[in-house]
Amino acid sequence: MALSNSYIIALKALRRNKLQTALTMLGMTIGVATVLTMIALGSGAQKAIQDQVKAAGMNMLIVTAGNYQAQRERPPDDAIEMGAIRNPEEEIRPHLQMAIFHPEDDPFAIHDHPTARQRLGDSEAGLGAAATLTIDDANAIRQIKGVQYACEGIHENVHVTAGDIRWFTRVHGDDSSLPEIRRSWKFVHGSFFSARQQKKNEQVVVLGSVASEKIFGTASPIGKTVLLWKQPFKVVGVVTSSNWMVTPEAGDDQFDAVYIPVTTMQSLLNLSKLNDITVTTESTGDVTRVSKSIVSLLRTRHGIGANTPDDFTVASQASKALTKGGLRPDVATAVTGNVAGLEKVTLDQLGKTLDKSSKTMTALLASIATVSLIVGGIGIMNIMMLSVTERTREIGIRRAVGARAKEVLLQFIFESVTLSVAGGLLGIAIGVIAAMTISHAVQWSTSISPLAILLSFGVSAAVGIFFGYYPAREASRVAPLTSLRFE
Amino acid sequence: MNPVISVRDLTKTYHVGEHQVNALRSISLDVSPGEFVAVIGPSGSGKSTLMHILGCLDQPTSGQYFLDGRDVSHLSDDDISLVRNKQIGFVFQGFNLLARTSALENVELPLLYGTGNISTSERKKRAMAALAAVGLESRADHHTNQLSGGQQQRVAIARALLNNPSILLADEPTGNLDSKTSIEVMEIFQSLQRERGITIVLITHEMDVAEYGSRIVSFKDGNIVSDVPNQNRRHASGELEASPVPLEGVV
Repeated sequence: MALSNSYIIALKALRRNKLQTALTMLGMTIGVATVLTMIALGSGAQKAIQDQVKAAGMNMLIVTAGNYQAQRERPPDDAIEMGAIRNPEEEIRPHLQMAIFHPEDDPFAIHDHPTARQRLGDSEAGLGAAATLTIDDANAIRQIKGVQYACEGIHENVHVTAGDIRWFTRVHGDDSSLPEIRRSWKFVHGSFFSARQQKKNEQVVVLGSVASEKIFGTASPIGKTVLLWKQPFKVVGVVTSSNWMVTPEAGDDQFDAVYIPVTTMQSLLNLSKLNDITVTTESTGDVTRVSKSIVSLLRTRHGIGANTPDDFTVASQASKALTKGGLRPDVATAVTGNVAGLEKVTLDQLGKTLDKSSKTMTALLASIATVSLIVGGIGIMNIMMLSVTERTREIGIRRAVGARAKEVLLQFIFESVTLSVAGGLLGIAIGVIAAMTISHAVQWSTSISPLAILLSFGVSAAVGIFFGYYPAREASRVAPLTSLRFE
Repeated sequence: MNPVISVRDLTKTYHVGEHQVNALRSISLDVSPGEFVAVIGPSGSGKSTLMHILGCLDQPTSGQYFLDGRDVSHLSDDDISLVRNKQIGFVFQGFNLLARTSALENVELPLLYGTGNISTSERKKRAMAALAAVGLESRADHHTNQLSGGQQQRVAIARALLNNPSILLADEPTGNLDSKTSIEVMEIFQSLQRERGITIVLITHEMDVAEYGSRIVSFKDGNIVSDVPNQNRRHASGELEASPVPLEGVV
């Protein structure tokens, strides 16, 4: 007996019972399509949550040139207790390495007006001015394990000129990977400048949506030329916010701004320094470790001895947010200074919460998938069972002309496997289309991995064998005589 | 000449509820090659039970059944399936063709089972030849529901003959047919016996159908009551010629 014969027989039998074939396949199709769509939407949702967390900058570190707090004594560990909080202002002594001494910076002087430090928060004043970071530092940081992107940054104010219109705004010299860090960006026109353009110091510029609107109105500025420092720059893109929480406004740092390659900026302005390096880590839980690695790397690179303070500052977005978000600068400093590795706590907690929520999501998806497949499988078993009863006579005829029990068994198994695999393939197609349609409709990224497709295909075949076996065995057990007498 | 069928002390007992039904009570029978045996008897006489055992669809309670000299009364299911496939051809009262299937595919069905791998083209060739033998090659692509009763029975005969079986078993083959079509079918059986020397066992409860056979075995209550050569054999071909109505497509 050849297997191929059994398969031919099964195919012919399926073709003969078109309605039954179509109905059984439909059950399987819907099962697999549901599974695939759920997995695609679910993993899309997971990815969306992770993206939102990344957009919030929870995996971001900012390395800034200079270290204003170098000489400040850290508050002791118990400083969080009321009464133990000291005024950090009293403990700050001028940093010897500071280039220019400003009268306002004298901590011993008593002022009748708020000092720059008080206005900006002491973490801001003077930071970024020191010429200690270079592109080579950024390249070295990129080699650290766990670092996803490192993006050099130089920030200046500039007049952008196009024809008669001048607009005073921020200019950022950045690495071409910046859009990967700014997850909540989207490009209205064009795209960010490329790594190749950056490498060749090309004079290309990406406009923030506010700057673009001020200069060019609503028209697309792609391909037009603007002047920065009286140099022509070609506009290659316009960027805006894709996050509903962030609305581009005049005067903000991200969208009322223009972006040019950091290399172009350095060569035009004859600079070698960077203001800062923005670093993202591959996982949110890794921020503290990466931050420590960056500190030791830069200390080595800058030749800083054991007793000399850093000439740079590494801050996580979390601690930055803490100092900015409503807390009085001195309290915030006390808190961040007090709880060593505060960002570690918050990020670890956040990371764990994320892990938990994604596990819940995965469990939900897995249960829905299981239920759908069981429903599909039982559908197949029902129809096959019904068809065994309905086709008792057919089985009898086959047995009478010499079909062995195992040939009948194989025929019925092949039938159910063919049904479930064909139904599964159709379900995969429908699932992919459904996922794409839904993602288009709700603006939700869906991801259909080849693994999910392979899995649903394998599962549908397995369901066919598993749920097809029992009816097939029943069919093969029908005695030839009873089946012929069956009316 | 060795008999094709040799049955020795064959009994078959059924249990229906608490009752015991003796369908066959120690039957012995020999059928020689080329014979056309008509088995006749009223309902419940045991003739159908004999037919099922001869066709290896059922196994006897006791006794022996030699087919071509081999005891097939207690073979395994796989072996007995092969015997059905290679050595026995069935023609049933209800035709027993696969529905929604072409005549050709019905005829080639036995070739899909059993040992040996036969190519699709070879299968088709042999099925066409068998259909041609019953005069239905022009209806090869017709589905069974598009064929008349007589045509369906001829498809069933073609299927039964496909593997050149040792015996052709016909269980009330004319029971569902009108008299004219019955004569056509009997003419096919007679010509198969006459021209190809095929051994035929025909089961019927009508004496005028049994009279087409060369030997008549009568059954009653599970016993053979008479076993005689048919002296007044009917000849279907002659009856067809005498028929005033022109007939189509008969061998």
